[in-house]
Amino acid sequence: MNRRDFIQYSVAATGISTIVASCKPENKIKGSILGASFSVGHLLRDKQFSSPSSVEVKQVAIIGSGVSGLTAARQLRQQGIEGMVVLELEKRIGGNATNGENLISAYPLGAHYVPIPNNDLKEYLNFLKSANVITAFTKEGLPIYNESFLCFDPEERLYINGKWQEGLIPQYGVPVNDLQEIERFLQQMQEFRLAKGRDGKDAFSIPTNHSSEDPDFIKLDALTMKEWMVHKGFTSEYLHWYVNYCTRDDFGTPYHICSAWAGIHYFAGRKGKAANADYSDVLTWPEGNGFLIRELSKDLHDYIRTETLVTKVVKESDHVIVQYYDVKSKVLREIKAEQCILAIPQFVAVRLLKDNSRIETVKANFQYAPWMVANIVTDEVEERSGQPLSWDNVIYGSESLGYVDATHQLLQQHTVKKNLTYYLPLTKMNPVDERNQAQNKKHEEWVKQIISELKLVHPNIESAVKEINITLWGHAMVQPVPGMIHGNLRKELARSIGNSIHFAHTDISGISIFEEAFYQGLEAAKKVIQYVGQ
Amino acid sequence: MQTKENKAQWILLLAVFVIATCGLIYELVAGTLASYLLGDSVTQFSTIIGAYLFSMGIGSFLSKYLGGNLLQWFVRIELMVGFIGGFSSPLLFIVFPLANSFQIILYTLVGITGVLVGLEIPLLMRILEHKVEFKELVSRVFTFDYIGALLASLIFPLLLVPQLGLIRTSLFFGILNIGVGWYLLHYFSAELKRAALLKLTAVFLLLIELVAFVFSEKILKYSETMAFNDQIIYAVSSPYQRIVLTRNKRELRLFLNGNLQFSSADEYRYHEALVHPALSSVTKPSNVLVLGGGDGLAVREILKYQTVKNITLVDLDPEMTKLFKSQSVLLKLNKESLLNKKVKIINQDAFIWLRENQQKFDAIIIDFPDPSSFSVGKLYSTLFYQLVRTAIKTEGIIVIQSTSPYVAPKSFWCIDQTLKSVGFFTRPYHNYVPSFGEWGYIIATPAEKEISFHSLPSGLKFLDSATLEQLFIFPEDMRTKAELQLNKLNNQALVHYFEEEWSKYLE
Ligand SMILES: Cc1cc2nc3c(=O)[nH]c(=O)nc-3n(C[C@H](O)[C@H](O)[C@H](O)COP(=O)(O)OP(=O)(O)OC[C@H]3O[C@@H](n4cnc5c(N)ncnc54)[C@H](O)[C@@H]3O)c2cc1C
Repeated sequence: MNRRDFIQYSVAATGISTIVASCKPENKIKGSILGASFSVGHLLRDKQFSSPSSVEVKQVAIIGSGVSGLTAARQLRQQGIEGMVVLELEKRIGGNATNGENLISAYPLGAHYVPIPNNDLKEYLNFLKSANVITAFTKEGLPIYNESFLCFDPEERLYINGKWQEGLIPQYGVPVNDLQEIERFLQQMQEFRLAKGRDGKDAFSIPTNHSSEDPDFIKLDALTMKEWMVHKGFTSEYLHWYVNYCTRDDFGTPYHICSAWAGIHYFAGRKGKAANADYSDVLTWPEGNGFLIRELSKDLHDYIRTETLVTKVVKESDHVIVQYYDVKSKVLREIKAEQCILAIPQFVAVRLLKDNSRIETVKANFQYAPWMVANIVTDEVEERSGQPLSWDNVIYGSESLGYVDATHQLLQQHTVKKNLTYYLPLTKMNPVDERNQAQNKKHEEWVKQIISELKLVHPNIESAVKEINITLWGHAMVQPVPGMIHGNLRKELARSIGNSIHFAHTDISGISIFEEAFYQGLEAAKKVIQYVGQ
Repeated sequence: MQTKENKAQWILLLAVFVIATCGLIYELVAGTLASYLLGDSVTQFSTIIGAYLFSMGIGSFLSKYLGGNLLQWFVRIELMVGFIGGFSSPLLFIVFPLANSFQIILYTLVGITGVLVGLEIPLLMRILEHKVEFKELVSRVFTFDYIGALLASLIFPLLLVPQLGLIRTSLFFGILNIGVGWYLLHYFSAELKRAALLKLTAVFLLLIELVAFVFSEKILKYSETMAFNDQIIYAVSSPYQRIVLTRNKRELRLFLNGNLQFSSADEYRYHEALVHPALSSVTKPSNVLVLGGGDGLAVREILKYQTVKNITLVDLDPEMTKLFKSQSVLLKLNKESLLNKKVKIINQDAFIWLRENQQKFDAIIIDFPDPSSFSVGKLYSTLFYQLVRTAIKTEGIIVIQSTSPYVAPKSFWCIDQTLKSVGFFTRPYHNYVPSFGEWGYIIATPAEKEISFHSLPSGLKFLDSATLEQLFIFPEDMRTKAELQLNKLNNQALVHYFEEEWSKYLE
């Protein structure tokens, strides 16, 4: 530790910087709370709708324009199905993968990257090829990724023990024993990554449904990640922080609640090979997965209707009745569809289906973690020593997951202002209480919370920040608690109703990531093709 | 009574002495600054001295219009000179980037100080008119005046500039001026009206000059002056970089973010080596692209080819190109190349510009800063070179400044490999530039090509055909056996090599 580090460390440790800073008058930071249309969504719960003012006939109705809904629609379109409609309650399509934009750059409001895909995911690879994310394949069949989309270096940094270190795995100032334990843990994860079950399948695969059913691995779904770690003799505080960070990052679930199978899957599911990238590399865009949404929806604009809240989906003898509230013209409309895909989360789906026992089951078993995402517009900020500003910036021991710099993936040399996207899964209390608290929080309170955390690493952040916009994801993702992935409930809920209502959403794959959503959509589309026009 | 009168007389004469010293110091500061900043010291000094003396004449002339309490006027003027003269050099440093308006401000300041100083001697003589015999008065006043001038002209170069620097010298004398004013106020308070108010003003002015004096020292400590041995004649922060020009007796130097870009003493070695091997190998080059190189020095070399019709210069920073289009010393250096009709300047990010570009060029000269940061590292990446490929004709030729193969062989050969990996054929070479040491460049062509330097322009200072051949020979200590990674956006291998090699070298 050099002198400068020491001073910074001791200042940070004694909290002097916060005390000093808190004496200064506060700078009022503008912005608003955007929230996934709560008010519209709540209509579903609270409003009594009269009878529909128009009726249309369609081959297929897809509810939801998230990754799964759009993938289904794209697939159907490619199969020549024209009588299709996609209904989306928000103004923007994309669901959790949507994005915003300002004069500086585009930026994600939720999902912001995908890892290098596993090579057996043909349809997904083909999609990436059509989106020019894969530019070509080598003779050996390895994908060559577009270098403008592989996350630029420097990718990640962690502020720990008074300094920014490279990478997120704690290293700087970490005692040797802990380092050895972290090494042992990663070694074990590597073994899981390569492991195959007795059925010959990968122990941990993507989509999860492709994973081995070998009881040796499935039994990991019966305990929590923390229990598993303790059982295996992992005690390092640094390691525990890191694993908890990972499960909160990917699943919005602290590791003492998260299934060990899901926790290990985070480390062991990725096996992608590429000509110019490693399995641990990621693909990203200034707008995050909003880029993939744009590519998925390229030829679908004529079919998508935004600001349409589906209120009811019921099966009648040979068709499905879909009723939706047209937010713009404030009227209820009806579609008679041969086939319907519910590409929405289960907690909404059950309400549309008006199936009371299903409502109860979902309520009792599905826990949805709320998230707060803040888009921060800022001038250049003061930095602590160590690795410079990176794509992903995490503070050891903090409640948030840190922030991602949207301008990092721009080609130009230099951007004077930045768009930082700050992620905070709300996991201190149970999801219901967290959700209530989040919805009652004022903009200033969020701002204060964010600023006081970031001040540790950017002392002048308060004066550098120009604007902070808050997005609340009330039901961001289902928590993969023990029993969720390998229990029966998920499969039961995923089963189609009477060959005409199909489900596609990441919450029935148990793990909320792009590939899962993509294959959810694809599978639902396959079922539709099978039955449509019969 | 007699002694009191006498004492008053001597105090006023002492004031003359101080005023004379201060006045000349302001003039010397202005002259020095002007020749630092604008070059051509003979012209600068002679015009400044001329303007100053002339303004003193105006002041003397105007003195007859001042009446009433003369002592009051004298003190007021004293304070004004102290304020304006004291702040003249910090002000001039600040306004230098205003380019054209700089001269106006410079001469206005010189004029005002001249007029004010010019008022003082006649005023003083009128104050003492009836107290001292005329021949005594004239003799004493001028004696003190000229001794003051002598003192100023001696201590200025010997003591002040080396010890205090220009900014603090002028502030120091401002403080002295005001100090004298304040003392006079104090001493003659009985004879003055509203002395208290004047005193308050004096104290206030004294304070702000003191603050500026202390603060300037602080700024100097943290700013470039510590890092640069030479006098800074220009410094500006654009949104992209810190541009600093320094000057000493021998040379002018440009620093970007503290890194030396060129020294006027030997930049010809660098720019001749950068441009001519490539350009002389193209048959009748007509369209040339320069990426980076906002100093116009590479363009100066390109303009030596009569066949060249269009030069497109893409440089991110408008401050840079503006500077090299408007400052006289720099215009002299780049031979006004950026003002040439053939040159089109585009202030845009090269990466973004190339992505949109449809043109194809006969030659591309790439003169970016060294890859010392991740943001500049992007401009040496596989993806960037792929875009460069789309902008060159099949018969065309590209050259890239590629840092020092002696200090940073891994970096140098990493650039070479990166170029090859996107399909270029390369010809690395190097030369010696005293300010930089051994420096490296890489010629890249889309097709395998014999390079022959057939149209080397005449009148170069460094290159001739015999020297040229030797540039392509690399001794063992400029090579590396390390297995090198290609520089890609997602590994920034070059920035890592560069940092590793240069930090070792500079340790
Ligand atoms: C903050 C955050 C960060 C994330 N980061 C990543 C990441 O970096 N990488 C990654 O792979 N995954 C990430 N995820 C996971 C992400 O959820 C999935 O990758 C994927 O986008 C989910 O798509 P989906 O189609 O399953 O669901 P959703 O995105 O939930 O789509 C459902 C859609 O249905 C609409 N809808 C709901 N109810 C109705 C109704 N009644 N009528 C009409 N429309 C309705 C919704 O508005 C929404 O557009 C993140 C998630 C969140 C919340």
